[in-house]
Amino acid sequence: MADSVDRNSILGWLVDPLSSTRASAEAAFQFTADRRAWLAPVGIGIALLAISAVGSVLDPKQFFFSYLTGWSFLLTTAVGGLFFLFFQHLTKAAWSVTTRRINEALVWAFPLLALLGIPILFGMHDLYHWTHAELYDPSSPQYDEILAGKRSYLNTPFWAIRMVLYFALWTFISYRLYTLSVRMDVEGPGEAGDGIPAQLRSTSAWGLPLSAVATAFCSYDVLMSTDPHWFSTIFGIYFFSGGILAAVSAIALFALLLQQTGGMLQGAVTAEHYQDLGKFMFGFVVFWAYIAFSQYMLYWYGGIPEEIVWYQHRLEGAWAWHSALLLVMHFIVPFLILLPRFTKRSTPILGVMAVWLIGMHWFDIHWIVRPVMSDAATFHWLDFTTWLGLTGVFGGFVMYRLRRHALVPQQDPYLADSLHFENT
Amino acid sequence: MANSDDTSTATTDPTPDGADFHDREPLIKGNLSFHDVTEIVAKHTEKQTPLAWYLAFTVASSMALMLVLMLAYQVWNGVGVWGNNQPVGWGWPIVNFVFWVGIGHAGTLISAILFLFRQRWRTSINRAAEAMTLFAVMCALIFPTFHVGRVWAIYWTLPIPNQMEMWPQFKSPLLWDVFAVSSYFLVSLVFWYIGLVPDLATLRDRTNKFFRQKVLAFFSLGWTGANRHWRNYEKAYLLLAGLATPLVLSVHSVVSFDFAVSVLPGWHTTIFPPYFVAGAIFSGFAMVVTLMVIARKIYGLENLITIDHLEKMNIIILVTGTIVGFAYITEFFMAWYSGVEYEQYAFLNRAFGPYAWAYWIMMSCNLISPQLFWSKKLRRSIPVMFTLSIVVNIGMWFERFVITITSLHRDFLPSSWGYFEPTWVDILTFVGSFGLFFTLFLLFLRFVPMVAIAEVKGVMPEADPHFYEEGDGRPAGANVPYIQPAEEASDRPETGETRRGTEPTG
Repeated sequence: MADSVDRNSILGWLVDPLSSTRASAEAAFQFTADRRAWLAPVGIGIALLAISAVGSVLDPKQFFFSYLTGWSFLLTTAVGGLFFLFFQHLTKAAWSVTTRRINEALVWAFPLLALLGIPILFGMHDLYHWTHAELYDPSSPQYDEILAGKRSYLNTPFWAIRMVLYFALWTFISYRLYTLSVRMDVEGPGEAGDGIPAQLRSTSAWGLPLSAVATAFCSYDVLMSTDPHWFSTIFGIYFFSGGILAAVSAIALFALLLQQTGGMLQGAVTAEHYQDLGKFMFGFVVFWAYIAFSQYMLYWYGGIPEEIVWYQHRLEGAWAWHSALLLVMHFIVPFLILLPRFTKRSTPILGVMAVWLIGMHWFDIHWIVRPVMSDAATFHWLDFTTWLGLTGVFGGFVMYRLRRHALVPQQDPYLADSLHFENT
Repeated sequence: MANSDDTSTATTDPTPDGADFHDREPLIKGNLSFHDVTEIVAKHTEKQTPLAWYLAFTVASSMALMLVLMLAYQVWNGVGVWGNNQPVGWGWPIVNFVFWVGIGHAGTLISAILFLFRQRWRTSINRAAEAMTLFAVMCALIFPTFHVGRVWAIYWTLPIPNQMEMWPQFKSPLLWDVFAVSSYFLVSLVFWYIGLVPDLATLRDRTNKFFRQKVLAFFSLGWTGANRHWRNYEKAYLLLAGLATPLVLSVHSVVSFDFAVSVLPGWHTTIFPPYFVAGAIFSGFAMVVTLMVIARKIYGLENLITIDHLEKMNIIILVTGTIVGFAYITEFFMAWYSGVEYEQYAFLNRAFGPYAWAYWIMMSCNLISPQLFWSKKLRRSIPVMFTLSIVVNIGMWFERFVITITSLHRDFLPSSWGYFEPTWVDILTFVGSFGLFFTLFLLFLRFVPMVAIAEVKGVMPEADPHFYEEGDGRPAGANVPYIQPAEEASDRPETGETRRGTEPTG
C-alpha cells in the first residue's frame, strides 16, 4: 500500500496510528475547535482517575469492581462501534458516510483500552473467584468440583492469552478500517475492484465472524466468569447488544457536540442522519430488551437452581430496584420516546436520549458486575470516578483523533449520496 | 487518484459527472421501460395456461391429495400411526412444523425488515417470497393441528368463552405458538395483499374479459393510481412493515420457547430465540433461492430477478448459516463449561451417539456448505446456488430433527431409552405437505403477478422525478450543497442552475 500518510510516533500510535492529515481536509470538514476540545476531557479524566487511585488504597476490592465496570462499559462500546462499522461497509451504506469518521474515531480504541486494562490484572483475585488456588485443592474445604472441571479454561495464564488474542484481533481490524479510510481522504478511493472501499469491505467481511467469536468469548471471560458457576449461551449477544446501542448513541452524541457546540459538520449531518441514527438507537433498545428478556424468561421458567442464582442476586435487596429500573429506563422509556419521528429529528431530544442510553448502558454493566461483589451496597463513589475518569480519557482521545483528520471521509464514493440523503 | 478514462479531472472529485466506477449498478437489467416491466410480469397471468403448468399442477395436487389421505388415516386411527412414542413424544410432526415455520420467515423479512433497511433490491423478490411465506405457514399449521390427536377439538386452543369455563393454559408456550403464528399469518397476509392492490388494478385495466375484470376490480379496491391512493398506500405499507418486523422475530422466538422453557438438556438454553430466528431466515432464504432460480428461468424474469439479487440472497444465507453454526458451537462449549453432567451428556450424545449421522449432516449442511459462498464466483453461479439452497434446507430439517429427537430419545430414565424411527405415515405426510406447498405456489404463479410491478418500477432510474428533466436519475455530486426540500422552492433560481450544479439543463 502506498503510504501517503505517515505513521504517528510510537507513543502517539496508541491514540492515533497516523500523523495528522488536517491540512488536506476540505474547509467544510475541518475540525475548527482548539485543542481544549480533547485536552479538557482527558485532563478531567486523569484527575478523576487520580482520585480513584486514592480510593484503590482505601478500598481495593471496591476499586477493582468499579474499575472493571467502567472499563467493560468502554470495551463494549468500542466493540459495538466496530460491529456498526462492519455493517456500514458490508451493506455499502451511503446514508451513514458523513457520520462514519466519528464511528472510525470511536473504534481506534483498543490499544488504549488494553493499556487501561492493566489495573484489572492486579485485581484478578478480587474480581474473579476462579483465580483462588484453594478451589482446586481436593484436600481443601474450599474445593469446588465444578470449578475444578472448568479449570482448563478458567485459569489466569489462558485467560490472559485469550485477552491478548482478542485485543490483537480487534486492534488489527480497527487499524485497517481506520487507516484505510483516512488514507482515502488523501489518496482517493481508487479503482472499484481493488480500491480502498473494496479493501474496507473485505476487511469487514472477514473481520465480522472473527470479531463475533472474540466478542462472545470475551464476554464470558470478562463479565460472565465474575460469577464462575453461572453460564448462559446468550450472554455474548447480550454483551454485544448493549455495546452497539451505546456506540450508536455515542456517534449521535459526538455529531451533535461537534455541530451544536462547535459549529462543525454544518450541512453534512442533517436531521435525516439524526433520524437514522435515532432509528438504530430505537432498534437496538428493542434488540437489547429482546435478548435480555430471552435470557431472563427462559431461566425464570426453568427454575433450575444453578441457573436462576444469578438473577436471584439481582432481584433481592437493593438490587431489585436496579433490576426494575433497568426494565423501565433501559427499555420502556427510551422505547416510548424514540418511537415517534419527531423525537429522532429533534437535536435536543436526540442528544438527551444519547446521553441517557450511554448512561443506561453503564447502569446495565454495573448491574452485571457489582452484585457479584456484594448483595447489599449499590452505588459507591468509586463507581462514578472510575467510570467518568475512564470515559473522559476515552472520549477525549476520540476528539483528538477527530481533530487530526477530516471530519467526514471526504473522498468516499458515496459521500454525495450521504450529503443529499433523505428519508422517504 | 483520477479515474483512468477521465483525463479532465485531475482532482479527486468522487462523483464526477461522467461514468463513475463506484456507481451502483442498476437493479433492473436489460434497459427495460416501465411498460416492458408490466408486460413481462402481467402476461403470465393473462396468457393461456401452458401444458407444463398443468403437468406440474397434477403432480403437486396429487401429492397434496396424499397429504389429505394420510391425515384422514391418522385421524381415523389415532396418533399411534406416527412414530411418536415415549419418550419421543414429539417426533416428525414437530420437526416438520418447525421446518415449515422456519421457511415461512423469509417472505416477511424481505418485505418488512429489508423495506425498513431501504434494501431496494427486495422489490424483485418480495411478492413471491411473501406468497411462499403464507403457504409455508399453512403447511406448518397442519402438523400441530393434527398432532393434538382430537383434531375436532383444536378450537380449544383459542380462548373462546364457554359454558364449561375451560380455558387454554396460558403458561404453555404451545398456546403462545397459536397466538404468535396466527398473528404472523394474518399480518403477513394483509401486508401481501396491500402490496398487491396496485398490481391487481394494473391487471384489471389490461383485461377485456368481463368476469376477470369484475373479480380484479373487487380485489383492487377501486385503485386508480391517484396521488391520494399512493399516499395512503405508502403510509399503510410503512406501518405494516413496522408491525410485521417484530412479528418476524417473535414467531420463531416463540417456537424456540416450545423447546427452551422445558428443563430438558439440549433444549433449555438461552441462545435459542435468536438462534432459531437466524436459522429460520437461513432456511427461508434458501427456499426463496430454490424457487426463484426456477421461476426466473421458466417465466423469463432474468432481467428483473438478476444474478445480483440472487447473490445478495446468497450472502444472507452465508451470514445466517454462520450465525447458526456459531450457535451450535456455543451450545456445545457452554454445555461443557456449565459443568452440568446432563448437559454435557446431551451434546456428546448428539455428536457421537446413535444419531451422530444426523448431527453431522446438520453440521456439514448448515455450517460448512454455506462457506462456499465466500467465493464471489460460486455465489453467482446458478447451479451452485441451486444445489446449495437444497442442501441448506435438508440441513435445516435435520437441525430440527437433531434438536427434537436426540434430546428426547435418551431421557433421565435409561430404562426407556430407545431408537426413534418414523413410520411410512410420517414420511408420506411430510412428502404430502410439499405437495400442498407446491400446489398453492403454482396457483400463485398462474393467477397473481409474481413480481411486484409497481414496486420494481419505483426503484428504476425513471422513477426519479428529475429523470427526464435534469439527467439520468443519479444523485447530485458532492460539490452541490444539500438543500432542504422545504427551502428549495423559494431558494431555487428559475433557470440555469439545477440541483446537480450550475450547468445548464438539457
